[in-house]
Amino acid sequence: MFKKVLIANRGEIAVRIIRACRELGIETVAVYSEADRSALHVRYADEAYLLGPAPSRESYLRADKIIGVARKSGADAIHPGYGFLAERDDFATACEEAGIAFIGPKASSIAAMGDKMEARATVIAAGVPVVPGTEDVGNLSNEDLLSKAPQIGFPLLIKATAGGGGKGMREVKSLEEMPQLLTSARREAESAFGDGNVYLEKLVEGARHIEFQILADKHGNVIHLGERECSLQRRHQKLLEEAPSAALDDDLRARMGTVAVKAAQAVDYVNAGTIEFLLDKDNNYYFLEMNTRLQVEHPVTEMVTGIDIVKEQIRIARGRTLSYRQEDVKFNGHAIECRINAEDPYNNFMPSTGRITHSLLPTGPGVRVDTGVYPGFEITPFYDPMIAKLIVWGETRAQAILRMRRALEEYRIVGVRTNIPFHQTLMDSHRFMGGQYDTRFVEERFSMDEVDEFREDITEVAAMLAALVAHRETEKSAQIVNRNERDTSNWKWVGRWERMHR
Amino acid sequence: MKYIATVADKEYTIEIVDDHHLSVNGKLYTVDFESVSGQPVYSLIADGKSHEAYVAAVDDHWQVLLRGHLFPVVVENEREKRLRSAAGGGVVESGEFNLKAPMPGLIVAIPVTEGQDVIKGQVLLILESMKMQNELKSPRDGKVQRIKVKAGESVEQKQTLLTLH
Repeated sequence: MFKKVLIANRGEIAVRIIRACRELGIETVAVYSEADRSALHVRYADEAYLLGPAPSRESYLRADKIIGVARKSGADAIHPGYGFLAERDDFATACEEAGIAFIGPKASSIAAMGDKMEARATVIAAGVPVVPGTEDVGNLSNEDLLSKAPQIGFPLLIKATAGGGGKGMREVKSLEEMPQLLTSARREAESAFGDGNVYLEKLVEGARHIEFQILADKHGNVIHLGERECSLQRRHQKLLEEAPSAALDDDLRARMGTVAVKAAQAVDYVNAGTIEFLLDKDNNYYFLEMNTRLQVEHPVTEMVTGIDIVKEQIRIARGRTLSYRQEDVKFNGHAIECRINAEDPYNNFMPSTGRITHSLLPTGPGVRVDTGVYPGFEITPFYDPMIAKLIVWGETRAQAILRMRRALEEYRIVGVRTNIPFHQTLMDSHRFMGGQYDTRFVEERFSMDEVDEFREDITEVAAMLAALVAHRETEKSAQIVNRNERDTSNWKWVGRWERMHR
Repeated sequence: MKYIATVADKEYTIEIVDDHHLSVNGKLYTVDFESVSGQPVYSLIADGKSHEAYVAAVDDHWQVLLRGHLFPVVVENEREKRLRSAAGGGVVESGEFNLKAPMPGLIVAIPVTEGQDVIKGQVLLILESMKMQNELKSPRDGKVQRIKVKAGESVEQKQTLLTLH
């Protein structure tokens, strides 16, 4: 068993990993930037070490410093979480060379799946279907891409070779607009990954984004934990995930699961990973990419399978066999996760920063909140805007939606703007309730003003509240002006006051 | 004290009678109203019905976040209301416009130059914050008068980035 695990991450995921370690009786080491001194992961961990200034490049991305801290603190393993160093094969290699276990896949698997072009080539060789697109691996110039685009056909997607999370991704409708989009895609990829390489892929229309959770141990056992439906996205950022998907039946699930396992085996995969697919209207599925790490949305799978994925990751890294065989994996009920972001849904989802002054978390049956913030914590512009994940479980999808509505209504965060109203509007949308949505739904067919026929009485309550607050403010300011105006002279008043306190 | 609250073109005449009574368009309610632990979150019990909302002042109106919906509410007393209807309203579409940073961040690129004519919706500046690149667009047609920042510069919230004329 590991004695001490270093968590090379921050926010809710660092807290999530610390919790798993605590339950396993493993000591934890947190690392933090100057902006995160009072963050929850620092407060929860057994040990904490400063990495450097707030920008990630000088703190959470400093692999050398993190390995130094692991050595100094005597940690025997490092969990990278997601983002930051999680999918950097050089970091996995550096851990190995330092004699510290990396709780994740082998460096070679990260490299093979991290380069999107190489990943495509590898899974094609293993007989896994992929989305049509540029086939050759390597640095393609704008001229090459522009000449290949018409063969693939429009609309298409420009994607970053080193990509992930929608960064460096652009949708192209025609050849005319492509040169400009190539420039902006390369610029964004360059700033996000330090690699401006891009490739092209046909845009599958009306597609759903379905991903399969994989677990693989070092003894050749690979299983899948079913799918997650991740189609609800905005600018390629996932906003809500659920399991199971309304689009899959048992037969399709079994077939896609088998292909997912095959894709993982193609790169000799070990530990937890995710195979992303696009599923079109006719139930054709295409491999999109593999995420060689723990996913943000892993809790929905945990809720329906009862399997603690982080603990299983630690078990795998210790060289043990998986606790489950494929036939042991059973799905129970339905889970939904809403990503709570510090973004203003009424102002084009503009990020919002500031101090959280008040926070009341939803609780009660079937509710789980994974968060790294608390009242008094400052949301800085340095990191991801996700501040919490609200996950609910219900016996059926309908019950899960009702529970999510209830939980969202309970959730109160004051100090920064959040996208909670977005999720509430989504829960009320008929398309969502019917499970009828694809990856375009939020951007093209969803509006915050959609449910504008409010009941008259709610509007009236809003008017009452505003008038009461306005009245209170007016009275308050009137009092401040009047404070020095006493009805008698100040000397007389002091005299009375002193007599009173004699 | 009498107020006129306007929500989505609907007008409510609200009279605050005393600490526990108010009337809306002549209908009297018994109310209990307080802020929740000193936060801009308010609890209102009106005739036994319990409501909770986040209420904050934004420019010239109040934002009321109630049951997951945002209501912009303009509250005026009778004098203000008379003054406004006398002025006739109407937004001036000329003069200077200062583009301010909606959040702290890093200037990634400024695709316009000083003296350039821009149209409404044109990207003036790209600001990176929380790992996302945000395009700040022109609210109207005009001419870029002054650019006060450079690419690669870090900016504070509400800092003026460029001026449009």
